[in-house]
Amino acid sequence: MAGASVKVAVRVRPFNSRETGRNAKCVIQMQGNTTCISNPKQPKDGAKNFTFDYSYWSHTTVDDPSFASQRQVYKDIGEEMLLHAFEGYNVCIFAYGQTGAGKSYTMMGKQEPGQEGIIPQLCEDLFQRTGENTDPDLTYSVEVSYMEIYCERVRDLLNPKSQGTLRVREHPILGPYVEDLSKLAVTGFTDIRDLMDAGNKARTVAATNMNETSSRSHAVFTIVFTQKRRDQMTSLDTEKVSKISLVDLAGSERADSSGAKGTRLKEGANINKSLTTLGKVISALAEMQSSKKRKSDFIPYRDSVLTWLLKENLGGNSRTAMIAALSPADINYEETLSTLRYADRAKQIRCNAVINEDPNAKLIRELKAEVERLRNLLFSQGLQELQQQQWHRWCRGFDPLPAAAGPHSQWDHA
Amino acid sequence: MASLSSDEWRAICDKFTNAQNLTEVESRNDPENDPFRSKYKARELLREIYCSLKSFEVSEGEEDGGGESGDPRPSEQPVDGQREDGFGQGFSGDSPAGLRAAKLGAVEYYLGVNHVDTEELSAGQEHLMNCMKLLGRCSVSSENVSLFIHVRNQLGILWAGRDETETAQGFLETAESIYQHYMKEDGSPPTDMTEYFTTEEKLLTHQERTKRFELAYTHTMYYLAQVYKNLGQTERAATYCHSTLQRQLQLNQFNPMEWALNAATLSQYYITKGRYMEGRHCLSAATVISGLAGEVPSEAAAQESETENERREQLRQKRAEIARCWIKYCLNLLQDAKKLLEDNIGELDTDRQDELKRARRGEEEEEEKGRKSALLFGSEDTFDSIASLEEKVRCLFPLDFTEARAVFLVGQNYVTQAKEYFQMDGYVTDHIEILQDHSALFRALAFFEEDLERRCKMHKRRVDMLEPICTDLNAQYYLMIRRQLMFELAETYSEMMDLKLTLANRQADTQSLDSHTIKKFNHLCSASAKYFQMFLDSLCSPEGKVPEHLEEEVLRPALVARFRVARLHSRLISSSPSVQLDNLNRSLENYKYVVQYCETHPEAATTVETELELSKEMVGLLPLKINRLKARMAANN
Repeated sequence: MAGASVKVAVRVRPFNSRETGRNAKCVIQMQGNTTCISNPKQPKDGAKNFTFDYSYWSHTTVDDPSFASQRQVYKDIGEEMLLHAFEGYNVCIFAYGQTGAGKSYTMMGKQEPGQEGIIPQLCEDLFQRTGENTDPDLTYSVEVSYMEIYCERVRDLLNPKSQGTLRVREHPILGPYVEDLSKLAVTGFTDIRDLMDAGNKARTVAATNMNETSSRSHAVFTIVFTQKRRDQMTSLDTEKVSKISLVDLAGSERADSSGAKGTRLKEGANINKSLTTLGKVISALAEMQSSKKRKSDFIPYRDSVLTWLLKENLGGNSRTAMIAALSPADINYEETLSTLRYADRAKQIRCNAVINEDPNAKLIRELKAEVERLRNLLFSQGLQELQQQQWHRWCRGFDPLPAAAGPHSQWDHA
Repeated sequence: MASLSSDEWRAICDKFTNAQNLTEVESRNDPENDPFRSKYKARELLREIYCSLKSFEVSEGEEDGGGESGDPRPSEQPVDGQREDGFGQGFSGDSPAGLRAAKLGAVEYYLGVNHVDTEELSAGQEHLMNCMKLLGRCSVSSENVSLFIHVRNQLGILWAGRDETETAQGFLETAESIYQHYMKEDGSPPTDMTEYFTTEEKLLTHQERTKRFELAYTHTMYYLAQVYKNLGQTERAATYCHSTLQRQLQLNQFNPMEWALNAATLSQYYITKGRYMEGRHCLSAATVISGLAGEVPSEAAAQESETENERREQLRQKRAEIARCWIKYCLNLLQDAKKLLEDNIGELDTDRQDELKRARRGEEEEEEKGRKSALLFGSEDTFDSIASLEEKVRCLFPLDFTEARAVFLVGQNYVTQAKEYFQMDGYVTDHIEILQDHSALFRALAFFEEDLERRCKMHKRRVDMLEPICTDLNAQYYLMIRRQLMFELAETYSEMMDLKLTLANRQADTQSLDSHTIKKFNHLCSASAKYFQMFLDSLCSPEGKVPEHLEEEVLRPALVARFRVARLHSRLISSSPSVQLDNLNRSLENYKYVVQYCETHPEAATTVETELELSKEMVGLLPLKINRLKARMAANN
């Protein structure tokens, strides 16, 4: 369970041609893990600092020694997550940020050498590693699916012709799943790349004044990675299955309609305009209250599809990383600040499943009586027969922990 | 409109109607790859209207011989949040200059909303502030009050989106006070902004004007609720949500199912605050209003048509969700009552019970008074049904078994309803959460039960409903839920074990237990230890390694589980010295773990203070007991 909280990175992109044309000013500075944003309207005292696991400076070019390349981002985040997947954990990496801030570039990148994003690099690395396996008892299989969540509807990107939306369900054995979503077995990186390309073409992409290719939807690329080990003695197979979810979230400014808000990560200050969302507001309110009082309640607002599918990723058996993409331009100051604040909150995300424990006052009382009884018993029966060492310790009024607590091996098994 | 020919005016009106249509109707059909196409078109039309109005302003200004085009007033910006509510200053709203300002302001308003909607926030802000400036020169009247409120609503949204909550609050609170002031001073149905660009024959009825105006204010309340929520003022936020719901009902502007679900959700806020009367009122209203949505289509009808299927699904789901809110009401009421009545070891404190029963009368009167003063939901035709539903379950704490049972039965009935929709296959998490609530209802009820035999049976019911699920679920996907189940099962078995022992000791006043009882006792004891151990195993890595560091949310449960496993092992009854020795050794190991862990992680000690202290004692004492046992074994050999 160590380090189960979310790893958070931010990354700032270069100016785009539009910004260069308008002589945009860069409002982001980075130093080590710290990101600093300055308010273009109050350049003197408006600077704010945020610290993350990583702050990636990709505003300049490779010539800049502090420049963070696609490779470096993968090395820091992608590789760590891949290793966790080999250990058997479910892992999840998601990208967040305003439209045009560079989410898709970080996640998918471009199909040019050195320009690939985390997803293709991770897939390539995965097959590289499984390819190096020489153990005949260990076999691997990889299946992928690719879906898009647009306005709370799930679409199969690997089977874009399929009509209608898919239902999300939970099965007691198979876990949460999307009904009828295609799952394709792949044997190499090129298979994955081809499927991804096909899927990306089917994605809902729109042109707005802000940005030419803006993702209006969340895209979830899932790799189900199975490691099967045969035990020669017993001829039994044991399987380790891990799910790698790579999520490209819709632009944060569209969080309302595309449902990114429902990730529950976004507890920001956005106001819902339409009264049809009154339920969300009341839910959030009830939630705030119950978390304060630690009481049991039921909040009917169904989680957004995305949260629902990823809920296991926000705690327990999984490892999660988030990359927030930042625009450097002064014109986007407000939205970029909001992204930074959101990323800052993401550091504290944990799964909210708690163990509700019964008060054990009765047990404590009994045990205290037992301690008393044991003490008296040992007193009255004379202690000379016991080891001198223990006797001393007992007389001193019980050390916090006896130094000779017994052979160490006892500690290792429960 | 002397200088503008009626043809020119008609053209402006047409453009406006067109722009409205593009924004509200056409834009919904815009293709996914060009989502703002209609809004961009609407923007062009609005700009044209603006230019026409502007040029007209200039030409009329010349006719007037100067007038406001050379406005001598300094164009200071009205700053909201300073209670500048626009009454009794500037142009009067119905003067030609006031009307002109309102019209221009309205176009600026629509342009502002258009820019915000198309993600150009800074430009949107500028237009909205231009509207504010224009209005800043006018006093509030029935001609412009609607615009006064709308523009502030929009600015509130805009600033809140930038995390500048106080700025948003300023705009919205001003809108609120403008509304209240207007209703007090004037109150006549105000002109709607769309009417600025409407030809005479298309003006709205008074009824329609009121409806739109009230709706704008409902939005103000709703936005304020969110602002207060974001500022952490939950109490105030809840009141504004409550008022929003109440206004929707009064003004008949609601969708029954949606409204009902919202009211049910609000009940959860009140319940966690311990305000059961308000909670019950919200729930009763939710049930009654959800009834207005009509019958659930039959399965046969659902198979016939996709829309019927969708409707069936929606109605069943939402009603099941309302049922789940009721379950929580009953559960919390029982649990809070239990907390109130239990002594320091969790048993019923009869003195306290008598005391509370005596105080009951006063409480009932309080309730009556409270009910009269509370914010009530309902219209003439629903009021009675809501009240009669409220009578079915009390909102005062149950103080004895009979009262507790009444609450329990209502809760159990809702459990059955909720499970009908949230079945295991397809809704694993929901289904299990309902079962956990059912189990918790039994647990709370058992507290009030004096007959230990029956109390034990209630706990057995809990085991029966949770145990099979815990075994069957996939451990990887339902880790959290399984942990909860394991812990609960372990505790339930412990509870049963204690009850069995108390019962046996009551029947036979000697210390010796018969073999049947011992067998039963050992079975319950091992079962409890088994589930605590399963819980502990679930914390291990995929390779089965015990974690070196326990995460905060499992820290206390994990240490408590160790502590309890230790205790359980030392309680197992056996006549065989070697089995006894094994049990004591396992007990010692677990006590040692707690002590050792808190030594290497000093921050853990505070979460398990008592358990740690006792574990230390036992780590000191148990070896002596073990050695004595060993000595005895050696002597017997």
